Parts: sequence; C-alpha cells; structure tokens
Amino acid sequence: MIVVKVLFSRVLWALVTLFAVSFIIFTAIEILPGDIAARVLGRYATEEMKAEFRRMRGLDRPMLVRYGEWLSGVVQGDFGDSLVSEFNVGEVVLPKLRNTFLLALYAFILYIPFSIILGSLSAVFREGSVDTFLSTLTLIGLSIPEFVMGTLLAFIFGVVLMAFPVVVAINMARSFGEALHMMALPAVTLAIAMAVYAIRMLRDNLIEVLESDYVRMAILKGVPMYQVVLRHALPNALVPALNVTALNLAYLIGGVVVVEKVFAFPGIGTLLIDSVFLRDAPVVEACALIVSAVYIVANLFADVMTILLNPRLRTAK
Amino acid sequence: MTDSVITHKPIAVVGLSRGLGRVRRLPWTLVLGSILLTIYLLVAITGPLWAPYRYDRVGTGKPFAAPNTNNLLGTDQMGRDLFSRVVYGAGLELFMALTSTAVAVILGGFLGLLSGFIGGWFDEITMRVFEILISIPVLVLALLVIMAVGLEASGSELLLVGVVALVYLPRTGRMARSVAIDLVTRDYVMVARARGESAWSIVWRELLPNATGVLLVEFGVRAGYAPILIGSLGFLGLGVRPPTPEWGLMISENRANLVAAPWTVLAPALALSGLVISLNMFTDGLARVLGRQVKRV
Repeated sequence: MIVVKVLFSRVLWALVTLFAVSFIIFTAIEILPGDIAARVLGRYATEEMKAEFRRMRGLDRPMLVRYGEWLSGVVQGDFGDSLVSEFNVGEVVLPKLRNTFLLALYAFILYIPFSIILGSLSAVFREGSVDTFLSTLTLIGLSIPEFVMGTLLAFIFGVVLMAFPVVVAINMARSFGEALHMMALPAVTLAIAMAVYAIRMLRDNLIEVLESDYVRMAILKGVPMYQVVLRHALPNALVPALNVTALNLAYLIGGVVVVEKVFAFPGIGTLLIDSVFLRDAPVVEACALIVSAVYIVANLFADVMTILLNPRLRTAK
Repeated sequence: MTDSVITHKPIAVVGLSRGLGRVRRLPWTLVLGSILLTIYLLVAITGPLWAPYRYDRVGTGKPFAAPNTNNLLGTDQMGRDLFSRVVYGAGLELFMALTSTAVAVILGGFLGLLSGFIGGWFDEITMRVFEILISIPVLVLALLVIMAVGLEASGSELLLVGVVALVYLPRTGRMARSVAIDLVTRDYVMVARARGESAWSIVWRELLPNATGVLLVEFGVRAGYAPILIGSLGFLGLGVRPPTPEWGLMISENRANLVAAPWTVLAPALALSGLVISLNMFTDGLARVLGRQVKRV
C-alpha cells in the first residue's frame, strides 16, 4: 500500500522535525546561559549570587545535558518550573492554552460559512461587479496586518459603537453567551485574516468546476442556479479548499499570538510575549514548542489530506 | 529530443519582457500599484527634506492636538508631529522591507537553484534544513532569533533586516528549488552540461535568467509580507526602539490613546496598510503579466 507508506514517512518526518525544532528552541533561548542568572537576579547581583543561582538551577552544566533533561521532562509532560512564579510551567500554560483553543475554535466556526458564502458569490458572478468588489476587498484584507485589523475593529466596534469589549477578560465571563460576546472581536479578526485567502482559493476552484461539462449539463437541464452551485459544484470545489483550510489552521496558531496581544486576551500568545519580556525561559520554551507543535501537526494534517484526496495515490497498489 | 520541448507542460517561467509583450492592456492592479509605490518611494527618499518637523521633535503643537493646519495629522502625547513621523517612517519601513526581502530572495534563490541543480545529498540536506525552519511559525522563528541575539542587543534596524531575511530564506529557497527541478530537464541545460560547464556557470547563466519571472513574483509576495512582519514585531515591542518612527511601534505606543486621539493610531495604521496594499497590487499585476498564479502560503 503506497498510501500507508507515504503517510508513515510523513508522520515520521513530522516527528523528526518536531525534535529538531525543540532543539532549535532550547538553543536559541538558552544559548546565553550566564544571561539567565543575570536576567532573573537583576543587575545588582554579585558574581557569587549568579554562580549560586546557576548551581541551584543546574545551569552550570553543559547545554546538551540540560537539553536532554528538558526534553525527557517535556516528553513526560513536565516543562520545569517558571522562573518568575515558581509554579510548574504546566499549571501556568494549560489554562491559557484552553483559552486560546476556545478563541481559535470560535474564529474557525465563523470562518467557514463566511468563506463559503463569499467565495461562491464571487465565483458565480465571476468577472462581474460583485466579483471585482470582493476581489478588491480580499486583496485589501490580506494587506492589512492582523494587529492593525484588530486595532481598527476595536476602534469601530469597541470605542465608537461600544458594542464589544476592547479588552477581553475572558476569565471574568459569567456565562457562555457572555464569553462569546467578549471574544467576538478577536475571533472576527482571526476569521477575516483566514477567510481572505480561502475566499480567493474557493473562487478559483469553483470557477473551474462551474465551467466543467457536468455543471454545464445541469444548467442546460434547467436546474436552478442555486441548486447547481450547492449540490453540483460546491462539493467538488470544497475538496481542494480543504487543503487551504488546514493551512489556515496552521496559520491560526501563529496569527493568534499578535491578535491575542491586541485584545490583551489571556491566551498562550500573550503568555509567550509577556514571558519573553519577563525573561521566563521555561515558559517561553513551553509556549514556543506548543505553538510550533500545533503548527507542525496542522501542516501534517494538510499534507495527509492532500494525499488521501489524491485518487492517483489511492488506486495505486 | 526536440519534442520534449514541445510537449513540455505550459512554461511556468516567462521572462518579463516577453510577458509584457504578450498582454495588450496592463492589469489595473499593476498600474495602480506602481503609482502608489512610486509615491511611497518618493516620500521615503525625499521626505526628510520637506517634512515639517524632525520625527523626534517634541512640542510641535499641543499634546494630542487633532489634525490641523500646523500638524496635518495631529500630534501624539509628547506633541510630536504625526505627519512628520509617518513621513520619516516611510524610508525606514521601505528600507527594512526591501533589503530583507532582497537578501532572502537572492540568497534563498541562489541556494535553491543550486540545490535543485546539484541534487543528491547536498539537495537532501539543504531541503531538510529549510523544511525544519519553515515548520516553525514565522513569528515564533523571528522571536527565537531575537532571543538568541539577546533582547538587550535587539532593536537595531539591521538585526530586524537579518531576522526577516532569515525567516524568508528557506521559503524562497524551497520555491526556487522547485523551479530548478523543472528547469534542469530542459534541453539547454543538458546542452550546457554536455559542454562541460561548471555548476556555478549553469546556475548563473542558464537557470537564473529563466527563473527571474518566478523570483520577481516571489520577491513581490515576500516584500508585501515583510512590512507586516516588521510592523508586528514593532507592535509586540520586539522591533526597533522608541523614538524611532516605525509604524507598528507607533501603533502600539498610541493604542492606549485610541479613545482620546484616534488619529495617533489611524495615521500609522493607514500608512502601513497602504504600503502593503500597494506592494500586493503591484505583485498581483506583475504575476498576471507573467502568467503566474500568486501563491501565498
């Protein structure tokens, strides 16, 4: 089975990549070992204090040894202790990760109907004024950085219209509905950022399908246009768009870092950036590794889907 | 031998002049994009000569003054003239975006073409390294480079150029390599090989001229994304330092004043978005002229 073989090699390669990425992350953050002591103890620390700190934390040992220990901890789900709060990193990261997951899920649920409707409209009225308008809009949309988009949405809907909160204190939400209302602006920001790509991709795919023989046949048979699109064309155009969606999923985890920061959302992106400035190396490592791991898995997912949906690979023995 | 040329799939790579000759009417995105970019370039180059104030001059008006005849775009909390700051920022933004993209496309393009041409273990290793670097989200990779250099040492424009170039290099490299893989099967490359030309010479004289179209579009796509990355890093406080008039940094500095003085945020936000829109329009038009699809991944 060639499919199984290809899939197996992809999964294996993803694991190797993850391993290499963990090494890059650890090296990049701990390459200045003396620095960590100075960072934590502040500028008035004496040399003896720094040496004692390094000895206590085990920072005086070679980096490869420390990497090995860190990695074996990570594999068991232990990322060490935060340098700032003394809590285990897991306790710090997990609640934030849950928040980020909720936000990403929310954005994703908004993104799907949004892209399908606008992408279909653009394709059905191709080369017309609706299409030109939407193409221009998506071109502008993909040119506006997420943090600018988020800030503008916060300005319009948060400051001028006062309809949504600008700072998303999700932990203060008393009900699920309130949480949804609070998260609306960051979720919409992320959904727009993803949708602009998907709309363009779906439009191109759908146009190709709409111009195929079987769709023309359906139109000539007198099937109403909305049925042609919904029942005949869309299902076939969605398959290639799935790949974009998986890639968007990968994008989401990166884009979430900036958008969370815009709305002071207590998620993993805000934690990552804040920990960078607090010089909390173990938390930065954990966040960077988790974000990268999700990214790698999402890309693997896109890859696997492309392979599974490729009939040439499916039928080969 | 000759029919391999004829039956080859539609040529993915078209030279710029040939492309321009083919289309009768230029795409409107190319025209508008070129005009806007020219304006940005003119402002970037000549701006410091005619900007009303220096970018760091405080007290050019009352703090948080609304746009008026003295301060065209208003002032920020230190009374600095936002119009002047945005004008000074144009040069910085364009310099960082274009230099970093150029470094990435030249180095990545060259490595990619060479890798695709040589093949074997060199290709294998280069591509694996590229793929590992690509599998780290852009922002996280940029963050890691900045942390490795040290937060204290960060904040220089050159470091930022290096960071953006490093993030893009593997991506352009992988793209150039896929072009090279397609090109090495062509007859003229085989002929050059048969003539006994060196790898360098074939990459330089045969592959590169035929890949310019693709590399140009790649340059446009990356250049369009570079200001977003630079701005995002500035916004997160990982880019250049105040009082540098970097637009992303300006947005982050003034966000707290969004209610009291929205112009302090809107001015750099519009300037930044406008720059990326012009770059993307230009690239979109260029890709159409060259008969290529713009892939943004």
